[in-house]
Amino acid sequence: MDQIQKELNLLPENFKKIAFLIMLLTVLFISLSIFKVIEIDNRLVKKIAGSTFLLSLLILSITRNKIEDELTLKIRVKAYAASFIYGVSVTIVFPLINLILKGSFESKKGVHELLISMFIFYFIMIFLMKKNR
Amino acid sequence: MKNTIKVERAIKNLTQEELAKLISVSRQTINSIEKNRYIPSTILALKLSKVFGKNVNEIFELENDD
Repeated sequence: MDQIQKELNLLPENFKKIAFLIMLLTVLFISLSIFKVIEIDNRLVKKIAGSTFLLSLLILSITRNKIEDELTLKIRVKAYAASFIYGVSVTIVFPLINLILKGSFESKKGVHELLISMFIFYFIMIFLMKKNR
Repeated sequence: MKNTIKVERAIKNLTQEELAKLISVSRQTINSIEKNRYIPSTILALKLSKVFGKNVNEIFELENDD
């Protein structure tokens, strides 16, 4: 397993707690903003929340699990590849869907939304591949 | 590719968990290898060969469609 750690340089398992803490703080921040406890411009809230949520997902994805071996390494790599293909496909297809449904190529979906959806896709792929191994 | 890991494990009276610990992988990896769902790396194959005291060719065998 040390060889896997050398190959991937994953973060220690404890970092999962940090990731979930950041996620929780993000949700708290959004809630405080929605209920007007803190007065901040909505666009700024969206940017900050998007970035912190993305950061938490990134930390989660590069944190090692309890057991890491060559099979889990293979699963990780496959999941990253699949989420990359998903991201590119979404980028190509979404404007076409917008064109059909709304008559315009323009999409309100930003970079944050795309990357967050890619991470979610990554975690779904990890779950499915681990389940079927 | 097919393998005789389950048989070799039975000969040595090892559980999947015990074998996994000996070669530093997870029990699920041993299970996947036994069910031919995963082809191990050269290093892992050599480790298995060392545990069972047999040549790699005696544990793993190529099939016609490989």
